[in-house]
Amino acid sequence: MTHDEVQSHILAVRRGPGANCSSIGSAVEMLFLSATAGVAIVAAVSAALRPHDDEDPPAETPPVEAPPAPPSADP
Amino acid sequence: MRPRPERFGAWVRVDDGTLVAVDRTLARALHVEETPLWDDARPEAPALPLEVHVAVTARCPAGCSGCYQSATRDGDDVPFEELARTLDGLAAMGVFTVAFGGGEPMLRDDLGALATYARGLDLVPVVTTSGIGLTPARARTLGDFAQVNVSHDGVGGGYEAVRGYDGASAADRAARTLLDAGVSVGLNHVLTRQNFAHLADTVRHARALGAREVQVLRYKPAGRAASLDYLARRLTQDQVRALAPALRAIAEEHGEGISIRVDCATVPLLSETLTDAAQLARFGVFGCEAGRHLGAVRRDGSLAGCSFVTREPAPAEGSLAERWESAPELERFRASVRERPEPCASCGLRTVCRGGCRIVSEHLTGGFAPDPECPRVLAWKATESAR
Repeated sequence: MTHDEVQSHILAVRRGPGANCSSIGSAVEMLFLSATAGVAIVAAVSAALRPHDDEDPPAETPPVEAPPAPPSADP
Repeated sequence: MRPRPERFGAWVRVDDGTLVAVDRTLARALHVEETPLWDDARPEAPALPLEVHVAVTARCPAGCSGCYQSATRDGDDVPFEELARTLDGLAAMGVFTVAFGGGEPMLRDDLGALATYARGLDLVPVVTTSGIGLTPARARTLGDFAQVNVSHDGVGGGYEAVRGYDGASAADRAARTLLDAGVSVGLNHVLTRQNFAHLADTVRHARALGAREVQVLRYKPAGRAASLDYLARRLTQDQVRALAPALRAIAEEHGEGISIRVDCATVPLLSETLTDAAQLARFGVFGCEAGRHLGAVRRDGSLAGCSFVTREPAPAEGSLAERWESAPELERFRASVRERPEPCASCGLRTVCRGGCRIVSEHLTGGFAPDPECPRVLAWKATESAR
């Protein structure tokens, strides 16, 4: 999955945790967020989420050790 | 990264503690195991909490005039074993954050051990304290807390105006002691009409102390605060109108120097400014989440929608997960969101605000009416009465 694809599957982002024991909080910057800042936040989160199996090329199959050369028939 | 399967896909906690809701496609790509929750033919169960507040003691010598738990010097502690069982149950439910409160949690000798136990269950433990009972030695035992919030109701006499005694310097000392021990610190700031004018200065003070967060809390009429005095302490309508610009200015002044959070009950007070519910939801802004993303475990082990609820407890029978699904007291909160009357029913912010603070509503109206201090509700009432 590309970053753009990951972003399209993100439904919500919640900064946390708050540390209050009586009510649940929300970050003020999220209340007054500009569209640009919102895109940046989702992009940053998508980088943390991007599935690794698509990010890294599959490891090459380890080379099979070449069989020992047959004994030479040559003298 | 820790995922929790959901009907929509999954909540995923990433390394910095941010929670991300992803759809099923991305959940599968992240190797979240296929879950019966993704069977659309199954009936939908109540959402599980993301955060649960756990009362660990009723003991506190401070005697704050507005204590929502009515804590006293002689209050009881909850035994460690009971709290461990509660934490086991919350971990089994997939809860991400547990916030310990009281009473004064710092009076417990085993507070650090509670945090360690929670960490062992992959929960993120946090705690709120007035700082009473905190020593450098105690602070050094609190390293497993993701953050410790110290109650601080303001500079310039704000603290005393809210709590009835001046604990500001003790709170400052506690914050410094925690920071010296390497513990992350935030300040909890209960906002009333008496300390409103000091909000910006209090945030500057918090930043100078080294706190990484200030949590602004609406004053709520629970416990000792559920009195006629509430009407003299709640914000005036002028202050409510000034709150959003004040918060915006504070956020702009400090940038990333300190994080400012507002609590669930403050969201409706900002309703004249907030407009885009879809964007607010996308960025994790929560109104009243009682019985949905937020729960509370009281000292007797009973569940409540939030820790301000003082009604009769839900029966403490069955597992926490079973009780979460079926407790009438929690269903009361959920039903009040589904069946919201006007003006909430047609309010564009309804999906985020969820009707405002039920604790305030219940105190002022006797039920879960639309938040009577929400500017949108007040405007609607004025229009209705003019007809």
